[in-house]
Amino acid sequence: MDKILTLFKREYRAAVRTKSFIISLILVPLLMGGGFLAMIIMEKNQDTDDKRVAVIDFTGFMEDPLRNAAEIRNQQEIFDPESGEQVASAYHIEFQTPDSVNRLDQQLELSRRVQSGELHAFLEIGPDVLHPSGKEGGYIRYYSEHSFNDRVRDWYRNVINSNLQQLRVAELNLDESQSADLFTWLGIEGMGLVTVDKKTGEQQEARQSNELQSFLVPYIMVLLMFMLVMMSAVPLLTAVMEEKTGKIAEVLLGTITPFQFMAGKVMGGIGISLTTAAIYVGAAIFTTRSTGFEAAIPYDVLPWFFVYTVLFIIMVGTGMAALGATCNDNKDAQSLQFPAMLPVILPLFLIMPVIQDPSGPLATTLSLIPPFTPSIMMIRLATPVTIPMWQPIVGLGGVILFTLFTVWVGARVFRTAILLQGQKPSLANLFKYAFRG
Amino acid sequence: MNIIELSGVTKTFGSVVAVNNLSLSVPKGSIYGFIGPNGSGKTTTIRMIMKIMYPDHGTILINGSEHHSHRLSNIGYLPEERGMYLKMKIGELLQFHGELNSATDLQNKISFWLERFDLVDYRNKKAETLSKGMKQKLQFIATILHQPEIVILDEPFSGLDPVNADIMKDVILELQKQGATIIFSTHDMGVAEKMCDYIFMIYKGEKVLDGTLSHIQDQYGNDTIRIRSDKGASAFENMTGIEKVNDFGKLQEVRVASGVDPQLILSNLLERTRITQFEITKPSLNDIFIRIASPERKEVEHG
Repeated sequence: MDKILTLFKREYRAAVRTKSFIISLILVPLLMGGGFLAMIIMEKNQDTDDKRVAVIDFTGFMEDPLRNAAEIRNQQEIFDPESGEQVASAYHIEFQTPDSVNRLDQQLELSRRVQSGELHAFLEIGPDVLHPSGKEGGYIRYYSEHSFNDRVRDWYRNVINSNLQQLRVAELNLDESQSADLFTWLGIEGMGLVTVDKKTGEQQEARQSNELQSFLVPYIMVLLMFMLVMMSAVPLLTAVMEEKTGKIAEVLLGTITPFQFMAGKVMGGIGISLTTAAIYVGAAIFTTRSTGFEAAIPYDVLPWFFVYTVLFIIMVGTGMAALGATCNDNKDAQSLQFPAMLPVILPLFLIMPVIQDPSGPLATTLSLIPPFTPSIMMIRLATPVTIPMWQPIVGLGGVILFTLFTVWVGARVFRTAILLQGQKPSLANLFKYAFRG
Repeated sequence: MNIIELSGVTKTFGSVVAVNNLSLSVPKGSIYGFIGPNGSGKTTTIRMIMKIMYPDHGTILINGSEHHSHRLSNIGYLPEERGMYLKMKIGELLQFHGELNSATDLQNKISFWLERFDLVDYRNKKAETLSKGMKQKLQFIATILHQPEIVILDEPFSGLDPVNADIMKDVILELQKQGATIIFSTHDMGVAEKMCDYIFMIYKGEKVLDGTLSHIQDQYGNDTIRIRSDKGASAFENMTGIEKVNDFGKLQEVRVASGVDPQLILSNLLERTRITQFEITKPSLNDIFIRIASPERKEVEHG
């Protein structure tokens, strides 16, 4: 054990003291959070260029409502009420007389103007939009270079539809008080469950569930787990390969057994990960406490997170170290790296379906298959949905057994391969090393 | 008392027999030289003694017992292909190896050996800044830092300049005086002759020589003559009774054919040239090595 500890200390110091560790400590979360950051920056930097849209109105009655709505918007809605600064685009409308005979010619002309940048888009309002059911003319078409996710298009849809609703109500000759709630649409508030306070025994009102939080917490936790495995276990493949080709392995094997060698390296990886995890989790707790969002920290899930992460690193780390021992050069290591990382990467593609339905058959089954258990069970535990207590425990048992198996196989492969030269790390060779020694 | 005992040890790699039915006894406190051509099985034998590899058959006893499950801290091992963590500082590297071998009083020992090998100024420098010879000295220090009972060195002198080779030789002899048993492999027959109490030669996996130098030489008898003459090697042209002439320029080493009296060679030579030295001796280890390892090689052939 002393020798494993000595090796662990060396591995840990060698990694933690490097500049690359400190840089990755800062960079990785920045890159991972980069997407969110970009979204926030994009939100703040709104496009304020004028948007001119040509409208071909076959109904003949949409001109005034659209013109009025645009005027109100341009005067009141595009400026920040406090600073008076313009924060959104002004909309200008250019009404075109519909040309039923040369419809395509008119559209081509407008399309050219859109291409030249003179117009943002052009809109065609069909003649039967007021009562569109079963009629060919019941359409509104928006022609532009990027019609997907265009705010201008949303604005026209809302203005035209609310105007059409008013016209339809007017046709019914209803009293205003009768028609007021006609189009009121109610959302459903998401609530947690009513609980009993463990200390006082008092019933606790259900709290409104935070949709963002129920998505973000499991997402961040599984990404953190992925990142920890990537920075500690995955590099063992090339590290061991370098120690083999650099002839350090034989020097050490004169003093320590292959198992001690592998264990020391994997423990070094665990140490690096736990240091990183402690820094990130500590920073998260400090930040949420000081900003009043402490409820977002799932304290009950954190022990599971650490246990699963450590086992995941042992599982992947021993595999990587064993594979590294079979490599003779960088080329071998590169060809093995991607397939070896698949069990780590695959669960990332399943984050969304598991978060959406943590108790569903897909999530439940996958979370009980050992290579996927750490990440998938972690996501399930971190969502607000309560999962049966036996599942994380059985999952943990499975992971422990599977980890013992990978350590056993890994140690056998490592022991056989570490001094072998010139043997390719083929599947057949790996089986031979693992089961025949 | 034998500190290392190999009995009937065989190791195969696929269809290649690397070591075949090898038995060897290394007496405590001796210097045992392993010689043999490249690929003959020296390193495999050493790796099996170190328990880095396990024999297919046979037993290896160290201090009378088999240690299968753990490495022995009382052995210091310097492999032939030796690497080190190049990014570590020299002091830290020695500390690391010392701790792995459970050495005590490490700091003082590190200072002592760095001083002894003239590396004290490099203590806080990274290993990657050292020259090849300095690295070799550093690796040697790491091997003996914990004062092992058995020191196994695979080609310890290769790549060292004469000054450093001399320091290393002195240290090895000192370790022996302090009671350590030394095994080293070498291609330098001169070193093996001068330093080793016992010499073991392995060829194609088989033990071909084992014993003291004089015991080995006795097996070959007094069949060698060292001669200095005015004519050099040309004096032996077309001379009968000679098996081989090894020409060193100023001196020729001649192997006399079986049953031929060296006096006859001397009288034949006197007719051809003036002789300044004539010495009947046993064959050198180098000559014995070449006789075994390349019997087909002939420096000067004589019918």
